[in-house]
Amino acid sequence: MLFGRNKKNPIKIADKGIVEWKYTTCGYCSTGCSIEVGLNAEGKAISSRGAAGADVNRGKLCVKGIFEHELFTTEGRGTEPLYREKYIDEYKPVSWDTALDTMAEKIKAVQEKYGRDSFAIISTGQILTEEFYTLGKLTRGAIGTNNYDGNTTLCMASAVSGYKRSFGSDGPPGCYEDFEDTDCLIAFGSNLPEQHPIIYWRLKEAMEKRKFPLIVVDPRVTMLAQFADMHLPITPGTDLVLLNSLAHVILDEGLADDDYINAHTNGFEEFKALVKEYDPVSASKICGIDEDTIRNVARLYAKAGKAMSIWTMGINQSTHGSDGVVAINNLNLITGNIGKPGGTSLSITGQCNAMGTREWSSCSGLPGYRYLENPEDRKEIAGFWGIDEEFFPKKRGLFQTDIFPAIETGQIKGLWLVASNPMSSLPNSERIRKTLEKLDFFVVQDAYSDVESAQYAHMYLPAAIWAEKDGCFTNTERRVNRITNIQQPYANSKPDLWIFNQLAKRFDHYKTMSFPDTAEEVFEEMKTLSKGKDRTLDISGMSYQMIEKQRGIQWPCREGDETGAQRLYTDGKFQTKDGTANLIALPFIDNNERPDNEFPFWLNTGRVVEHFHTRTRTGKMGNCNKYSPTPYMEMNPDAAADLGIEHQAYVRVVSKRSDAVVMVQLTQRIPYNMVFIPFHFHDCANRLTLGLLDPYSRQPAFKQNAVRIEKIDQKEAAQRNLESRSF
Amino acid sequence: MFEVRNEECEYAFLNDKTHQDKNRYGKSIQLVDEKDPLAGKSLNINGDAAVGDNPNRYKQHGFHFTADNCIGCHACEAACSEKNDNPAHIAFRSVGYVEGGTYPAFKRLNISMACNHCDDPVCLKGCPTRAYTKFAEYGAVLQDPDICFGCGYCTWVCPYNAPQLDPVKGQVSKCNMCVDRLEVGLKPACVSACLGNALNFGVIENMPENRQQVDALIPGFPRTDITHPNIRFQQTRSLPAEMTRTDNAAVKYHKDKKDGHYKPVVDKSKRVNQRSWSLDKLRSREDPLVLFTLISQGVIGAFIMLYLGSLLDIESMVNAVQSSAYLPMLFIMLAMESFALFISTMHLGKPHRFYRAFNNLKYSPVSREVAGIAVFFNSLLAHTFFSLFDHELAQIAAIAFAYAAILTGPIALYFMHKIYRIQARPYWNHFQVLTAFYGNMLTMGALLTGLVFVPVFLYQGMPVIDLLNIISVSIFAGLAIESYGHYCHAKYLQRNDSEGAASFYEQVTTFGKTYATRNILLAINIVAVVLLYLASSDSVISLAVWGLLFVSILISALVSRALFYVLVVPTTMPGAFFWKNKGFEQHARETGLANMPQVGVIPDAH
Repeated sequence: MLFGRNKKNPIKIADKGIVEWKYTTCGYCSTGCSIEVGLNAEGKAISSRGAAGADVNRGKLCVKGIFEHELFTTEGRGTEPLYREKYIDEYKPVSWDTALDTMAEKIKAVQEKYGRDSFAIISTGQILTEEFYTLGKLTRGAIGTNNYDGNTTLCMASAVSGYKRSFGSDGPPGCYEDFEDTDCLIAFGSNLPEQHPIIYWRLKEAMEKRKFPLIVVDPRVTMLAQFADMHLPITPGTDLVLLNSLAHVILDEGLADDDYINAHTNGFEEFKALVKEYDPVSASKICGIDEDTIRNVARLYAKAGKAMSIWTMGINQSTHGSDGVVAINNLNLITGNIGKPGGTSLSITGQCNAMGTREWSSCSGLPGYRYLENPEDRKEIAGFWGIDEEFFPKKRGLFQTDIFPAIETGQIKGLWLVASNPMSSLPNSERIRKTLEKLDFFVVQDAYSDVESAQYAHMYLPAAIWAEKDGCFTNTERRVNRITNIQQPYANSKPDLWIFNQLAKRFDHYKTMSFPDTAEEVFEEMKTLSKGKDRTLDISGMSYQMIEKQRGIQWPCREGDETGAQRLYTDGKFQTKDGTANLIALPFIDNNERPDNEFPFWLNTGRVVEHFHTRTRTGKMGNCNKYSPTPYMEMNPDAAADLGIEHQAYVRVVSKRSDAVVMVQLTQRIPYNMVFIPFHFHDCANRLTLGLLDPYSRQPAFKQNAVRIEKIDQKEAAQRNLESRSF
Repeated sequence: MFEVRNEECEYAFLNDKTHQDKNRYGKSIQLVDEKDPLAGKSLNINGDAAVGDNPNRYKQHGFHFTADNCIGCHACEAACSEKNDNPAHIAFRSVGYVEGGTYPAFKRLNISMACNHCDDPVCLKGCPTRAYTKFAEYGAVLQDPDICFGCGYCTWVCPYNAPQLDPVKGQVSKCNMCVDRLEVGLKPACVSACLGNALNFGVIENMPENRQQVDALIPGFPRTDITHPNIRFQQTRSLPAEMTRTDNAAVKYHKDKKDGHYKPVVDKSKRVNQRSWSLDKLRSREDPLVLFTLISQGVIGAFIMLYLGSLLDIESMVNAVQSSAYLPMLFIMLAMESFALFISTMHLGKPHRFYRAFNNLKYSPVSREVAGIAVFFNSLLAHTFFSLFDHELAQIAAIAFAYAAILTGPIALYFMHKIYRIQARPYWNHFQVLTAFYGNMLTMGALLTGLVFVPVFLYQGMPVIDLLNIISVSIFAGLAIESYGHYCHAKYLQRNDSEGAASFYEQVTTFGKTYATRNILLAINIVAVVLLYLASSDSVISLAVWGLLFVSILISALVSRALFYVLVVPTTMPGAFFWKNKGFEQHARETGLANMPQVGVIPDAH
């Protein structure tokens, strides 16, 4: 004591009384951080910390992960299965047996009356890989509907589609360690500090050890844009033009890696002819980036030796999302930057297990990157599962974003929603509202009974969440990691795996099929399916024990391998018929909804670090939610001054779809003719969005919409905003 | 001891190899040497008697914040709240920001701030209960919530908003430097959690690895001479000359051409540039203090006026003291002061700990004020008690205690004014507080005296003109002193280049009409009291005018004192758009958003 009291009391510092730390993997985004959850003497989860020895996060966690233990006790969890005849009735609790009997009955009734495909199933990127595999088996093998897809269509579909078009198969070819080797990095529509803070930290660590140029393409001046050596404030929806123009300069100035192009790609001539049209002068007029900057970036990237591109929703959520991904792949192929340390096309994925659903859910085909369109794949899986191969459709059915219009017009009569919340997450919410009203039978399976979509459901099934279950996630860099059972499922909620297995029992094919009870048995089954010399998605060398020991293993990890492989395509061999990557010519067609006189502002949507998706989790945790407890809109102060709008006042935003009420935050972070609204809030940003679909990936363009802004009575606005929030 | 886990990462460990002798304020960084009686003692964390083996245990430590790198990801705040088990509405560390420029040449500067464990901790000095200690170990300034009685004075004096008053628990708590982690060589939880490589920690003035600057100033950070804070910065990215805040404080920061530092200036874009009443905003958490200060000043003033007046042989005062109404008047004053003390005590977070107010007479103006008021009150009580008896000794005692009350009353008011002379609150830090308090003593004292004795004299058929005249003189003097203070205060605020200027701006815009009305009332009151003195009349009309004047003085005093509390703009750190934004907090309370606990704003207690 220097001064103050002479007699000191003991210093009190909060001691939560942790007696044990249990290993698991974070259930928010796809970074795939290893978490240790602290339990007190009563076995209650009371603390979270990043696992120090895990390569991905090296002891760190973001704001969401730090409070992840609070998930187990968040408000709004479902306690019992609920059922009602009509969505306008009150829910009544029912037993699991009654619920599942009714569900099977209703599914069969819908299918009998309207055909097998009239019952649709929409899954998620949130549940465990073993659960995805089981749901796929149940859907494709027992229920037999072809209208089955994941909500990953909203986030990763364009990346999947782009990877498949360029490399013949899905799967991000790079890893986080590439930051430590690269000599130039371009981030397209990816705001790491906000969306993937731990990946940002890995990048920052790499840059502090060895500085390399960072180029950020983003219409907003994000923190990453501010820290970039070059910020390219692009016109929304024109990334393809910029990318074609970069390729133009590289080819025009002879900076391409000709050896790599000749040895490992096809389609070069057609590609070359197309990008010839995208000279920097013409391109600059479309994408808003001046010609000197385009040339400068192209030279920098091509001459770097090892250069990499990362991207997130800025590319994917666009009508040219798939093309944008292919264009990034093109850029890396012509500069020889695929499959080498520091040279890659790395899509930064969205949900914690978006990769798991891509790999194993059978949403877009059959498990393990197999295709319905491929007769051998159908035969193999039908045999493996013990069903007639003719039961499989010969072509994949509707994408998630096409299922809703099919409900709207009556082709689909039943829907089962697993851990997804389209009432808040899909574009044009008012249309979704109208759509969901039309279902004959609608089941919502979710950890939260207050999930907004449940308001139109006939049945609600309470699911266990995250580490109330057991299984695996795969992260952005293809790392399979373990989720261990830390807490018992809340109240009478059940693990999704249990729900799928119990429902499977109620379908005829169950007699010939097998649905293992434990996640580990399912994993063993997946391992068998993953074997194959040419298969990139090979997990046969992994076991639960090995995964936990190494805190995650990247695939491919073949039988007998001690660990996984960091990169794909290191040998320049791709998953195409002739083994070469496809260079694809991508003409730009401007079909974006653009600002006009009536709707003079671009509406851009995105996310904030403290929230995850539709806030069913983070909206209930004060220590996350308090940083943005209510919807807001970034607006340029000069534009606001012209309209007489004040900082922190409510405004009404109107698009051709509907309107929304938001609080205005004035900032020069965005241009005069643009506003930005975080999409997390119910009955807000997505009431405005158009969500034009990408022709390949069917992913909606959330980020290119036109709106106008109107003043509104402040008291009424506050009231309306309050009434839209139940959390 | 805190458990260092297996595989703990390198970034989490302290790594100060050397240190400088003195810090930039000339103070030794080695706080005590190893042989000092203070050294080698256990910090007794949660009753653990072990002594940490950190080799730098007796050196002043502090945070180093590379503002160039902060991404505003909240990981530091989250790690802190997780470790300290804080609910959403309390945060030992907060991130706010300032921003400037025009798209796309736009810069946002995030600032993560907790306690700066100052060399000269004003919180420690201000705390009446002595809940604060500056430890020889790491130079940590720690606060003990078990001692605190929740007056919140430390939250007033701290320029950095470090102490957090929890309205739910009724006590203050704050950053504890994670001394449990320091004892085992680990950096604080917030530092270990940082994802931008912005926050660091070590022996003060040491430059962290890979950094190139150890500065004590960044835009938005208050001046350092108030407390000599132990925080250092790196901020090398070029910033626009003008950096604005996103919270609702009418303050922005402008780069001084000469020294390159950013100074606070008024941000007029934050308010509609016109005069309003904003009467609903006059109410605040400090409402009890409005009444406490006014009543105490009135009671002290009235007693001095009566008793000193009678001692000075002023006829009307002699008559008053000798009248049968004197004892009832004493009881009225005791009752009023008891009420004032009651509401000010109930204003504490933990009223049952009221007796701790005297613990820090050495440093705290709060302790001294409370002591002064207590002596005054007890003298008045004793004077009243002994006045009940005719015995000679009782009379002597009554006189002695009357002298004591006359002496200690103004002393108590002097310390009452010292409470508000806070450097971190430029609006208050002016002699106007003293003129207002003494002026009110004269005005309210005369008012109280008149309210009781004019009716008594009239009822008893005694002449009231002399009484009214002496009251006019006192009121005139009081109002004149108060007005002079206000005049000088307004001039000082307009010259002020700090948050005081922002207060003045609020005064003439948000509260513009209220403020103008107060000034007009003051002028009218002065003119009226002069006219009444000149008229020297006890006619019904003049008595009616007196009645109106009393009401007018009361209104003007109440409004004046309410403005005094709501107008202060502290030199706190910039907030974010929602978090630590007073404007949003108020909005959340008004609209009912605050009723959801996860909004992080505690609703008003009703």
